[in-house]
Amino acid sequence: MALLEIEQLSVSFGRPEAPLIAVEGVDLAINEGEVVGVVGESGSGKSVSSLAIMGLIDPPGRVAAKRMALAGKNLLDISSRERRAMLGRDVAMIFQDPMASLNPCFTVAHQLMETLAVHVGGRASERRARALELLRQVDMPDPERRLNAYPHQLSGGMSQRVMVAMAIACNPRLLIADEPTTALDVTIQAQLLDLLLALQKQRGMALLLITHDLGVVAQTAQRVVVMYAGQVVETGALPRIFQAPRHPYTRALLAALPENNVGRQRLQTIPGTVPGQFDRPAGCLLQPRCAFAAPRCTQERPALFGKPDALVRCHFPLDGEAR
Amino acid sequence: MNTIAIPPLLEARNLVKHYPVAQGPFRQPALARALDGVSFELAAGKSLAVVGESGCGKSTLARQVTMIEAPSAGQLLLLGIDVGSATREQKQKLRPLVQMVFQNPYASLNPRKRIGAILEEPLAINTRISRAQRRERTLAMMDRVGLRPEHAGRYPHMFSGGQRQRVAIARALMLDPRLVVADEPVSALDVSVQAQVLNLMMDLQAQTGVAYLFISHNLAVVEHIADRVLVMYLGRVVESGTKRAIFDAPRHPYTRALLASTPRLDAGARRSRQPIKGELPSPLAPPPGCAFHRRCPYAVDRCAVEAPALEAHDGHLVACHRVGEID
Repeated sequence: MALLEIEQLSVSFGRPEAPLIAVEGVDLAINEGEVVGVVGESGSGKSVSSLAIMGLIDPPGRVAAKRMALAGKNLLDISSRERRAMLGRDVAMIFQDPMASLNPCFTVAHQLMETLAVHVGGRASERRARALELLRQVDMPDPERRLNAYPHQLSGGMSQRVMVAMAIACNPRLLIADEPTTALDVTIQAQLLDLLLALQKQRGMALLLITHDLGVVAQTAQRVVVMYAGQVVETGALPRIFQAPRHPYTRALLAALPENNVGRQRLQTIPGTVPGQFDRPAGCLLQPRCAFAAPRCTQERPALFGKPDALVRCHFPLDGEAR
Repeated sequence: MNTIAIPPLLEARNLVKHYPVAQGPFRQPALARALDGVSFELAAGKSLAVVGESGCGKSTLARQVTMIEAPSAGQLLLLGIDVGSATREQKQKLRPLVQMVFQNPYASLNPRKRIGAILEEPLAINTRISRAQRRERTLAMMDRVGLRPEHAGRYPHMFSGGQRQRVAIARALMLDPRLVVADEPVSALDVSVQAQVLNLMMDLQAQTGVAYLFISHNLAVVEHIADRVLVMYLGRVVESGTKRAIFDAPRHPYTRALLASTPRLDAGARRSRQPIKGELPSPLAPPPGCAFHRRCPYAVDRCAVEAPALEAHDGHLVACHRVGEID
């Protein structure tokens, strides 16, 4: 049994008669100790899916799913009190903008100790010692001094280290990292990705890494989920999925990367943009932008099919070779 | 020396920009050395990419080149005219020649103005052509950047990020500039849209012969668009050279670290990655000697004492004491 099991997750916002569909029928399973990357452009629903897993979608947002379970525990019918207790303890999350995730009014020690007080308890001196230990575990430079620092005194990289320390404080079994390095420089990004992977290995923690950067996923994840316009369009193991993508969207995304166009005058592009609230096409959602679209694609929305470890949502999946 | 040489479009000679930073009411302000002796040349119609971590002085450089600020010392020559000592009239003539495209197209377009008005404004301010002519040139420019005529009547919020960046690029080109300073123009965009905008920028360069000073932290993008690359660290140039020289055979340890830190699709590169330790030091208190020595895997005692000069080596300009020894 997988650690996290999600079947047919849907999230929509706005009025029920004219909903904005952010996530539509997403299936996702993560095993213990696995690193899964979710990639997609903005508007693909990757962040909203993770917020739904955390139970952080507030009304008027609507979350529906056939099944949503963490470690066998059904997340759909537990009380909000139980759900809150799970946040930070069994599953933790870090966000894109570390500067905005920390409370500017309190010191690093205060914020780390607060997490510990909620889930672990203990005397203040013990919690302080544990906070220091956590900062050491995330390779914070000069941890004793940083303990008393306010967030504005930290760089972006250091703030994100504090967020990681807070996330791992209660030994979660699943860590969701939503664009954890997007706001950081490449050198700091490399340091943080290495840190996340090291912590994941040491603790046998599962890691769900959400990013728009295919390079980041290629260097960290074991398995990849590609999302487009609120749907999963392809899943597969690395490096196979990037070497021989089967969905036209995955292939087009890879082809648009400058590093796959070395020596070319022009980059290959995907024409058009991601469909919005009012122009979701009938049939396949990618069809207006797809180079391989056929008449069937405009009428019938494809289902996700294939072997469990390599699914694809396309009527005419590419066999991996250039067509 | 050739005495009749045409001056390059843009030339910086030992450019310095220091900002005073208040340290409290009774203390001397400290000096942030945002630019500390930067020299480079940019020829007409070419692209120079400036790369480095945040805080290395990239955006300060952009503010000097666009004449938003005056340099503290050194010379910045545009078409051979030093903008520091230029007269008001000279500056007025130079300003339309340098335009800027900003990183965030959600913040750089006035939300209360229609696209047509945004694009016409540079013409209304800088030229004396009639309204009908302005309108005509606006529509022609919109066509060139891939916007439809009906978009002129719409407001920025009705556009996607990629389309807004097209508007921003169109606005920058309205006055037929010789140089466009693009500060992270595609960092806020998705991969597929990023490719569209980069293609557009390269097409426009081929058509108009505009030069780009392209500021970016994304080395893959730089590798695609640049002719020459300038790698900066804490207000100084640590390495510069042609794109191929920098990407195929980086000489400075910092350039190597930047390249090694850039995530690649190739999973084989995953193992060989050696991220550098630490973060960019404060420009208020730069380390003595080579500013990079505390993070450098090759640093020796000399690096902590003596700042290396930028010297020619193997077709590059490199500021490193150990450039001949390491490989």
